[in-house]
Amino acid sequence: MAEKILIKERLGDALGELSKFRLLAPTKSDEVVLFKQIDDPAEAYLDYLNSTVPPKRVVFPQTETLFKFRAGEPDLEEKDPSEGETVIWGLRPCDARAMAIVEKLFNWDYEDPYYLKRREETTLVGLACSSIPSVNCFCTSVGGHPFGTEGLDVLLTDLGDKYLVEVVSDKGAKVAEALSGLLADAAGADKEAAAKLSTEAEKGISRTIGTEGLQEKLLNLWENPLWKKVSAACLGCGVCTYLCPTCHCFDIQDEVEEDEGRRARMWDSCMFCEYTLHGSGHNPRPTRRERTRNRINHKYSYFPSKFGDIACVGCARCINLCPVNIDILDILQQVVEA
Amino acid sequence: MTEDKAKATVTTDFEPNIVAFLCNWCSYAGADLAGTSRIQYPANVKVIRVMCSGRVNPLFVMNALQQGADGVLVSGCHPGDCHYMHGNYYARRRFTLMRDFLEYLGVEPERFRASWVSASEGSKWKEVIEEVVEGVKSVGPMDQFKRRQLNW
Amino acid sequence: MVEQLIDTDKLKKIAEEVISREDVRLLIGYRKGTFGFRMRPAFVEEVSEVGELEFTPACVNNLATYLTNYERPPLPRGTTNDTRKVAVMVKGCDSRALLQQMVELAYKRDDVIILGIPCNGVIDPAKVDKRFPEAKGPGDVKREGDNFTFSADGKTETVPAAEVIADKCTRCRYPTPLVYDELLAPEVERFADDTYEDIAGLEKRGSDEKWAYWEEKFSRCVRCYGCRNVCPMCYCDECVLDRLSPQWMRRSVDISENTAYHISRAYHLAGRCIQCGECQRVCPMDIPIMEMNRKFYKDVAEFYEYEPGTDAEEKPLLSIFSVDDKEDFIL
Repeated sequence: MAEKILIKERLGDALGELSKFRLLAPTKSDEVVLFKQIDDPAEAYLDYLNSTVPPKRVVFPQTETLFKFRAGEPDLEEKDPSEGETVIWGLRPCDARAMAIVEKLFNWDYEDPYYLKRREETTLVGLACSSIPSVNCFCTSVGGHPFGTEGLDVLLTDLGDKYLVEVVSDKGAKVAEALSGLLADAAGADKEAAAKLSTEAEKGISRTIGTEGLQEKLLNLWENPLWKKVSAACLGCGVCTYLCPTCHCFDIQDEVEEDEGRRARMWDSCMFCEYTLHGSGHNPRPTRRERTRNRINHKYSYFPSKFGDIACVGCARCINLCPVNIDILDILQQVVEA
Repeated sequence: MTEDKAKATVTTDFEPNIVAFLCNWCSYAGADLAGTSRIQYPANVKVIRVMCSGRVNPLFVMNALQQGADGVLVSGCHPGDCHYMHGNYYARRRFTLMRDFLEYLGVEPERFRASWVSASEGSKWKEVIEEVVEGVKSVGPMDQFKRRQLNW
Repeated sequence: MVEQLIDTDKLKKIAEEVISREDVRLLIGYRKGTFGFRMRPAFVEEVSEVGELEFTPACVNNLATYLTNYERPPLPRGTTNDTRKVAVMVKGCDSRALLQQMVELAYKRDDVIILGIPCNGVIDPAKVDKRFPEAKGPGDVKREGDNFTFSADGKTETVPAAEVIADKCTRCRYPTPLVYDELLAPEVERFADDTYEDIAGLEKRGSDEKWAYWEEKFSRCVRCYGCRNVCPMCYCDECVLDRLSPQWMRRSVDISENTAYHISRAYHLAGRCIQCGECQRVCPMDIPIMEMNRKFYKDVAEFYEYEPGTDAEEKPLLSIFSVDDKEDFIL
């Protein structure tokens, strides 16, 4: 399908057209940008760098019920994971790419019905990073691009008073069809303008890291003193992992209330002290040194060795939001130099 | 105000659920005396006996409100009468702060009360319960951070 | 005229003396961060590492946290823990955390060497990031009079202090450390106080309005526990939040459990919070955590004339009482 143009003045109409889907868009409250279901197109806040919590939460909610049970009843009541046809409007290419990467895990030796169902019914309409990306963004070092389309169904490029609309997949075509009355054909000049922005955005990325050979190298640095150094300041909170678009660890707990209960799964973080704690009291990752090492190794060694992709998309949330300025690029640089 | 609450306040058929933590030595005996003396008081209270009001963790209050209590009462010996000398003095500090804080978050102050009821004050127990129940009735069901359980 | 207070050469000289001592194993200070105007904690174990130490108004972290959050994994047979002294750099607010930790007998005064930094205010990294979104850095921040001067990437810009100073500093009651072994600069006199205007304003609103305010904030919480972990007063061996039996609050993230979390966190700091503001600084979801802590601080001061973290000889607030304590709500 050829590129189309959506005039910004008609954005509200476009979002209105999409309200037949479950429509999520970035919204702002205080200084926090979150993807939320919007009823009024005016709630959408598209002039943003990136959302505080990645849109992974839409397909992989922080807490979700798996099934419900009642005392005296042998049958479980399973929950239908479907949330209905969903459109996420205006997410960043890195976060969409993260979903494509994490999907490989949820579709691996066990096919996770919850994740896959919602992933299948979700259409991702990306918004290219056409203004200069944030100072810590490093998507180009890990295989992404500010205008990348991996994982996306539609890519929008902000051209000032209009968006260039590029349909990438069949799911995307469905959304474009819903908007067909609002779209016009793109002129050659529009495509050129977008291509120029793309090159500029790529140049605007200032931080880089060479990832070649990291996968093997990390394993050889198991007892290297660098881990103690880089983790010394770590507080053991979950900021880096909870706000990471590719982190996908979860815990499963039963919650019982009188004679009924539910089994729910909820995000977990490898930076928490009870994450690998055994019932015996033994913890194979007893300190933050081992936990930090695991976080880096998982992203840059274990995951790529299984699935071929680095489980990091360079969104830089962990760098920007770490309370003590533990910087994943700084750690990787030390790994490269070690 | 949620629909639930509005409805209950209007129809006044709302019977609040009140959890009362009573110390073994004074308030529990006081409530017992009210019972043996056949003093009628509202049946909205669920009594939990603890050894001392000082044993009541402020988190009990929070947890009770989460689990479906509309109001919480903590009751102990009068100051100076504590079986363990000072337990109720410690409790007093804790609950003064807790109550003020809950109020600050928007939990109506009627939902959390404390009282001193001695073993001989069966009739005071009745008055306390009447006042607590009336207070909670006036603010309706707890709907701030009650567990809306098993929300699918 | 307020100037840059700390002479870096003097700081390094003192740090070198301290870390050279036989009975000192570690010095915790500040060093340059990795981007923008960030500074980060430095853990100096060798004299050779002293060179990276620095103090600027960008040194926001409360390093007192690191005195209590160390982990104690089982030791290999035949080895013992290094129990030598730890030296730590503290600002006025941070020093109160040390005092409060000592009040609670977390360690003894002799176990630490305190390098006090009289402070006339630090920046708020969130405000600075917003003001300089394109600063790659690592840059420098200096205090000059009523301004902060930011220099990075070959550019220098002066910003009025009021625009980027941390909120807690505009309410600071103790700019000079209350406990120290060595003061790295002349004392700074108190230049601000907390009027609790915003707290009193919120108190006056109706219950529904108050709850609507907090419900919106709490519903955002992702329970990363950053506010708990960064807190110098949160150092229980096993936190009530991590326990499974009894499980006080569930892991699931919804308004009920989030509220329970925030109530327990705030209440556990009643009469203990020393107003360093770290919890609110680290919160990625922009929850006004200090508005809860300050409510307790205000109540504790009003009801019991108690100010945590100001006197090492004081007893913890909730482990003492007076027979005349306020009890106007008790039937």
